[in-house]
Parts: sequence; C-alpha cells; structure tokens
Amino acid sequence: MSIDWITVAAQIVNFLVLVWLLKRFLYRPILDGIDARERAIADRMGEAARIREAAKASEARHMAEIARLREGREGVMAEVRAEAEAERDALLSETRARLAREREARDAERAEEVRRHTADLQRRGAEAIVALTRKALADLADQSLEARIVARALPRVIDRTGDLASAAGDSREAVVTTREDLPADVRRDVETRLSDALPDVAITFRTDPAQSPGLILRLGGAQLGWTVEGYLDGLERMLDGRGGAADAA
Amino acid sequence: MELTPDDTIVFTVLGFGVNATIVFTWVVMALLTAAAAFITRNLRADVPPDRWRTVLEATVLTIQSQIDEISARPDRRLLYFAGTLFLFILTSNVLAIVPGWRAPTASLSTTVGLALAVLAAVPLFGIGSRGLGGYLRSYAEPNIIMLPFNLIGEVSRGVSLAIRLYGNVMSGAVIAAILLGVAPFFFPVVMDMLGLLTGAIQAYIFAILATVYISSATAVPPPDASKETP
Repeated sequence: MSIDWITVAAQIVNFLVLVWLLKRFLYRPILDGIDARERAIADRMGEAARIREAAKASEARHMAEIARLREGREGVMAEVRAEAEAERDALLSETRARLAREREARDAERAEEVRRHTADLQRRGAEAIVALTRKALADLADQSLEARIVARALPRVIDRTGDLASAAGDSREAVVTTREDLPADVRRDVETRLSDALPDVAITFRTDPAQSPGLILRLGGAQLGWTVEGYLDGLERMLDGRGGAADAA
Repeated sequence: MELTPDDTIVFTVLGFGVNATIVFTWVVMALLTAAAAFITRNLRADVPPDRWRTVLEATVLTIQSQIDEISARPDRRLLYFAGTLFLFILTSNVLAIVPGWRAPTASLSTTVGLALAVLAAVPLFGIGSRGLGGYLRSYAEPNIIMLPFNLIGEVSRGVSLAIRLYGNVMSGAVIAAILLGVAPFFFPVVMDMLGLLTGAIQAYIFAILATVYISSATAVPPPDASKETP
C-alpha cells in the first residue's frame, strides 16, 4: 500500500475537471430545465388561477344577469297577466253585451212573431166567425151579413153624425164604404137615413175588398164606422182587461 | 498480484508514466460526461422529458434531496461537489463487473486525492459561508483548548475517508481475485454482486460524509446565550 503523490495530484485535477464537466453538461441543464419547467407549471397554474377567477367573475355576472332577467321576466309576466286579464274582462263584457243584445233581439223577434201569429190567428178567427155568421144568417134567416151589420151599425153611426159633421168642417160629400155591395133596399135605407141625418151632404157608396165587413162613413177628413175588425179589437181589449166595450166604434 | 492500479503503467508521456488509475479515471469521466451531454442535448422546457432524461433528473433530484436533508444551508455548489463525488465513485465501483476493469477507487492515491479534495472543500465552503474569521473561530469552539483536537479531528476525517473507501474497494477486488483462484465458477459471481452493493454503499457513504463535513463547516452556530444582554 503506497501513495503515488503524482497520481494523487492528477486525480485531484481529474476530479475538479469532472466537477466542472458535470456542472456544465449535467447539473445545470437538468436543474435549469427543472426550474424552467417549474416556472412554466407555475405560470400555467397562475394562468389557470386567473382563468378560474375570471370564470368565477363571469359566473357571478351571469348569475346576476340571470337574476335580473328573472326579476324582469316576473315583472313582464305580471304586466302581461294584467293585460290578459283586462283583455279577458273586456272580451267578457263585450260578449255579455252581445249576448244581451242578441237576447233582446230574440225576445223582440219572438214578441213580433207572437204578435204576428196572434194577429194572424185573430184574422183567421175573425174570418171564420164572419164566414160562420154569414152562413148561419144565410141558411137560417135568409139574411146577408153585411145587411145585418149595416142594420146594426147604422143607428150608432147616425147617433154620432153631429160629431162627424163638426170634425169634417165644410165638406159636403160623404162616402160609405163596405166590403161588398149592399143590397139595393139596404142601400136605399142607408142613403135615406144618412140624408136625414146629414142634410145637404151627397152620399156615395164604394166597396173595398180589403176592408173588414162592416160600414165606414167618411166625411172630409173624419170618419165613423163599425166593422167586424173593430168589434174583435174591442173583444181583445176586453179579454186583456184593458177595458172597452165589445161594440167599440 | 497487483493490489493497486497505480503500479500498472499504461503509456508514457514525456517521461511520465500514465498509470491505469488515471486512465480508468479518464474513462469514467468520459462516460459520465458523454452520457450527460447526450441526454441533455436539445433540452427544452416545453418538451416533456424522455426516459433517460427522467433518470438523470431523478438522480440529480435524489442527490439534491439528500443534501437538503443534511445541510441547513443548501447550495448548488455543494450539489456539484458531493454529486460528482457520488457519481464518480459509484461509476468506478459499478464498472468493476466489466472484465479487465480496474476501479480507480481501488487506488489509495485516488481515495487520498478525493479526501484531500474534501479537506480543501470544507474550509473553502466554510469561509464562503461564514467568512474567514467565523470559520477560523469554529476551530476554537467551544473553547480555545479544543483547537488542537479540532485540528486533529479535521485531519482524521480526511484520513478516515480515504482509508475507508480504499480499503473497501481494494479488499473487494482482492477477495474476488483470491476466490477466483480457489473456486473460479461460483464465488466470483457472488463477490461481484456483493461488490456492486458495497460499491454503491461506499459511494453513498463517501458523498454523505463529505456533505456532512462541509455542512458542519457552513452551518452558522446559534448565538451564545452568555453574550446576550439581559
């Protein structure tokens, strides 16, 4: 066991050279690479933290925006609901009014129909009564209805010729209107009795098929008459309790 | 039988014989430098490390962590020094399994050289860390009476480092050579395997002890309580 001091010195130098070589080719590249990688990782972590913070801030902004929109939506919903309720109320009111108008129209139409039906029934009834009366008079008494009506109505008319003359003023032409031609003897009787009641007045006879059976005396603008239609109107008023005699003029 | 490679002259330059210790040391230096340079070429921070670079990083970081555990004031220069000691001794010892290899650490000249390097590094690191006065005062601690003992202890550290490494490596090689003559087919293999283990342990012990010595020199002593003002 011996020590070669030259070798010792050479080995010290070799060792120092090796330290420098490894520092140059091993330690520095490795440690610098690790440091650079750690810095890059730290930078990425910092960037990730910044991105996370930005994401949190963005999330907070979005949540606030969502809350604001939700509140706005509730306001809009309330407004729309109020508008819808108002529209509904208006439509209901309009519908109720239209239904009321239609109900009134239907009621009026029904009343008009009832009135027309009643009038038609009345007319048919009157015609039936007149026809039956005329047939009964012709079969049983050999009399015409018009002659009997005139015979019954003429005294009533004559009783009120004074009022007629007053209402007619200066008119001097009277017209007697019947539905059918009167028999000659009846016509003469009527003419005679009217001439007695209305002196200085010319008597003229006319027929009107649209007129109800009876007698109508016109003098100027006034008239008197007794017809089956008027008689039935009197009957109707009596039945309705509206008063009036069955022989109303 | 040659116990040390110092006795084997490989070639002569200008009248000086270059022995096997120096030549195999150069081989170790070339291997370590070439491997490091090859693996760390085109090193880029944005490129993930490959397998070999990962091995180097793990090696360097392991050495660094060992130093951090020992030293109160970790220093990159200490890593360069102690890491190189470990890698050089480890490589020299591990290559002993290669036929014909003469480990430079089996030379007392090499181990003495490394021990002298450690002995020189201790005051250099200490002065660099604590200053010349602070370092010199450390020899008189805790009392001036301890100065000769501290000096003796400082020298004995280097001697023990050198003798321990040399004795272990050289004895392993000698025992392997003896067993090769006695039982050439079995025991040499076992001894080589044991030599790998003891070689790695010796490299670790040498580097760790060097780190401990340097760290003890660089450690700042706690303030003296007797000098504190009441």
